[in-house]
Amino acid sequence: MLIAHASAAENVLRVLAWPGYADPDVVKGFESRYHAKVEVTLIDSDEALWDKMHQGKTPQFDVLAANTAEIQRYAHDNLLAPLDLGSLPNTKRQLPRFRALSSIAGLTKQGAVYAIPFTYSTMGLIYDRKQVSVAPHSMNELWNPRYRGKVLDYNSAQHNFSFTALALGYPDPFQLNSAQMQTITRKLIDLRRNLLTYYNLPEEAAAFFVQHKVALMFGNYGTQQLELLRRAGADVGYVIPDEGVLAWLDCWSMTSAAANRPLALAWINYMLEPDVSRLLTQRQGLANTLTEPPESTGKSHILWIEPVENIDRREALWSRIVSGDRPERF
Amino acid sequence: MMRHGLTLKLSVLLALIGVLASGTTGYYAYRANRTMLVHEAERSLLTSTELLGQRFTMAINDIAADALVLSTMPSAATVALDDDGRSVDNPTRDRLAQVFESFIAQHPEYLQVRLIARNHYGLELIRIDRESGGTVRVQESALQEKGQFAYVFDTLALRPGRIYISPIAVNHEHGAHAAEGKPTLRVGTPVADARGGVVGVVVIDVDLASLLRLSQADLPADYQVYLANEWGDFLVHPDSSLTFGFDKGRRVFMQESFAATKALFEQSTQPVLLNGLTQPNQAANHVFSFVRRPFGESQGNRFIVIGLGKPLHDVLVGANMLGNSIVRMVLIFSAFAILLAILFARALTRPLHILADAATHFFSEHTVDALPLRRTDEIGVLARCFDRMRREIRVQMDELRSKQHELTHLASHDGLTGLPNRMLFMQKLEEAIDRARGSGERLAVLFIDLNRFKQINDQYGHSVGDDVLAIVARRLQDVLHSGDFVARLGGDEFIVLIRGERSADAAPAIAARIVRTLDDELTIDDQPMTVGASIGISQFPADGDSAEALLLNADAAMYAAKSGGSGAWVSYRELIDIRRARTGRGKRRRSERESEKVEPADDGADVIA
Repeated sequence: MLIAHASAAENVLRVLAWPGYADPDVVKGFESRYHAKVEVTLIDSDEALWDKMHQGKTPQFDVLAANTAEIQRYAHDNLLAPLDLGSLPNTKRQLPRFRALSSIAGLTKQGAVYAIPFTYSTMGLIYDRKQVSVAPHSMNELWNPRYRGKVLDYNSAQHNFSFTALALGYPDPFQLNSAQMQTITRKLIDLRRNLLTYYNLPEEAAAFFVQHKVALMFGNYGTQQLELLRRAGADVGYVIPDEGVLAWLDCWSMTSAAANRPLALAWINYMLEPDVSRLLTQRQGLANTLTEPPESTGKSHILWIEPVENIDRREALWSRIVSGDRPERF
Repeated sequence: MMRHGLTLKLSVLLALIGVLASGTTGYYAYRANRTMLVHEAERSLLTSTELLGQRFTMAINDIAADALVLSTMPSAATVALDDDGRSVDNPTRDRLAQVFESFIAQHPEYLQVRLIARNHYGLELIRIDRESGGTVRVQESALQEKGQFAYVFDTLALRPGRIYISPIAVNHEHGAHAAEGKPTLRVGTPVADARGGVVGVVVIDVDLASLLRLSQADLPADYQVYLANEWGDFLVHPDSSLTFGFDKGRRVFMQESFAATKALFEQSTQPVLLNGLTQPNQAANHVFSFVRRPFGESQGNRFIVIGLGKPLHDVLVGANMLGNSIVRMVLIFSAFAILLAILFARALTRPLHILADAATHFFSEHTVDALPLRRTDEIGVLARCFDRMRREIRVQMDELRSKQHELTHLASHDGLTGLPNRMLFMQKLEEAIDRARGSGERLAVLFIDLNRFKQINDQYGHSVGDDVLAIVARRLQDVLHSGDFVARLGGDEFIVLIRGERSADAAPAIAARIVRTLDDELTIDDQPMTVGASIGISQFPADGDSAEALLLNADAAMYAAKSGGSGAWVSYRELIDIRRARTGRGKRRRSERESEKVEPADDGADVIA
């Protein structure tokens, strides 16, 4: 009985993933190759992911997909198991920037690897090719008075402070001191005065873009947003600014409670198969870690989002900036 | 058993039909009523939804009228153009602010009333905010730049006199007092200077909840209100945690909660009606109505979707009440149907029972009940046929019986004399012997042979012979007692059985009477003639204990009588005595010892001959 139960458990892989990461055809391919059964649980927010990982004493899953900041939290709480790169031969297919695991904050801890990059999305500049004849090179273009009233910005405290820090040339956009914060606040008021408006939803952005002939926007949803704009009739381009671009990076990790570790590693390795990774780009408009997307090159400076120095502070300032407080109020 | 069988079966069958019919009728009436009520509820819900939409639009129009009043006040353009928000002292602006304050005081649904300049990045010049229980005029230093908001830049783009209506969103503007965090609708209109140039805007922020409360004032309390923006995000939902999902990073769409509303968000403007009766998957236990309404028409084809829901249970209260009465009625009608079925079955089977009874007791004379001959239906026809058949059969049976009787008579009687024949005599004799054995009774058999019949037959012909035989038979009957039994054995031989005491008189009294009457002259066709008879007598039990033996011995005695001379009779006893005497003589010749006292009159060999 015990043996039968154990072997049945060995053949089941419990996967916690985001929509589009483990589509049924992908799962079926894995199941037939490894004679295993895969149980996929989908989550649609970091909060839902956190809740699922904290059901029961130990995680009820073998592998999970999460962004770098979340991975850092789980690793810190000892919910993840270190990964043996020897069991993940497909990591050799990855672009150099994703093989340099120690250069990405949160993936390694005391020399051990806890996550393998899987997919990412940059937050570059989207511009109207008709109004902006030469592709912009810098985030500073958002402040260009030429485009006054024709700029869109995403309504987010974290990212606005971070990309403004990049535009100002600060070395670490995630860790800002109060002097830097003050400068950035001023700069963000300037940006506000140059904007048409802030957007929250990609649909909203597309509507503003077309109806108000927007020239330039901060593309929070990255390349995923482009398709929506093109469908709305906009002739748009996408650039990664020279000073660098913010990006989120989702990785696969194995939980410390994984029952069948070889199978869990096989899953992570399978996710890096060219055919599987390519589906992400085809179906979700997301970048994969094996091939360079057209808008970036190996030299593109991508900054993976990290926890910021003080989110509440940024939120408080941002709320006043967005609401229209004048500079002398700060 | 059979009687109750048919009645019971028929009663059960008819009762079942009755119960089934009333039950089915009741059930379908109940179903039809439910469907009707639900459709009625859908229609009335649709009317309410459309009315709600109209009132919502009308309420917005009222707000727009207020905005227009404020925007067209002459001082509005002056302030919008000249004021930079920094000068502390501006009496024109303060007077205008008082007007703004009076507007917000009169309309509890207004959260903010503002005058915003085109210049200075959309700086607020006058801003009256609602605050717990009252209003507050925002001080100069706290006034904000609002040029980045659509309600400013879109309104500025309008021609004077036109109205801007914002999408409904949660107000996240910092320092907005009571408005902060509230679902808000903004109504704006341009402020134009004397030359018609737009120099600013008047914007009224309205609390969505208050606005809806006004619009749905007289809706029944059990109605649930739904409102979605053009993308389907819920703005109003009975579960408030599902509203403004886009604001919380987890969007909740109407077209996902109610798949049927998907068409409303594409092109369709047809109302969507749903009910839990026919679409339990889409509208569990509710009736819903959704309509799409244009919203803020000046902004292109924006729209909202308004929905109303009502618990199915409330809709079906009437149907359930009717259902209860239907159940009661069905029960009553079923009881009635059972009763009727029993009565009808009995009425139907009763004539059948009578017929069956009549058939069962076909040959007995008494009839239990009169046959239902007067009925005009099939049963009447059957009864009449049966009755006719019964009568015919009876007539034929009677005929058959009389024929049988006749045949039996012919078989046991002589056709010429009407006397019993040899067969019947033998039967009667055997019966008499059987009886006599038990009772010890005595019997006598007299064998009668006519002496001169052959000569009469030869001399006068067979016809006269036959007449002679008939007369002989009559005379024999005349001289005998009614208890005696006389039969014709055949030819000119007759035989008589005497029972009881009188058998002792057979010889000589009865035999003598017979000989006498047959010696009397008889006249046939004027021819006198005498027939005469010889009689042999045997007696039971002395002369034999079987019919054959008695007959044979009487016959033997008759021969002895005939050979002894005419008109004589001899009993078998006498014949035995004669024989014994003759046998004794023979023995004496052989042994010389035995003596014989009896001396017969004639030689035994002669007697036999």
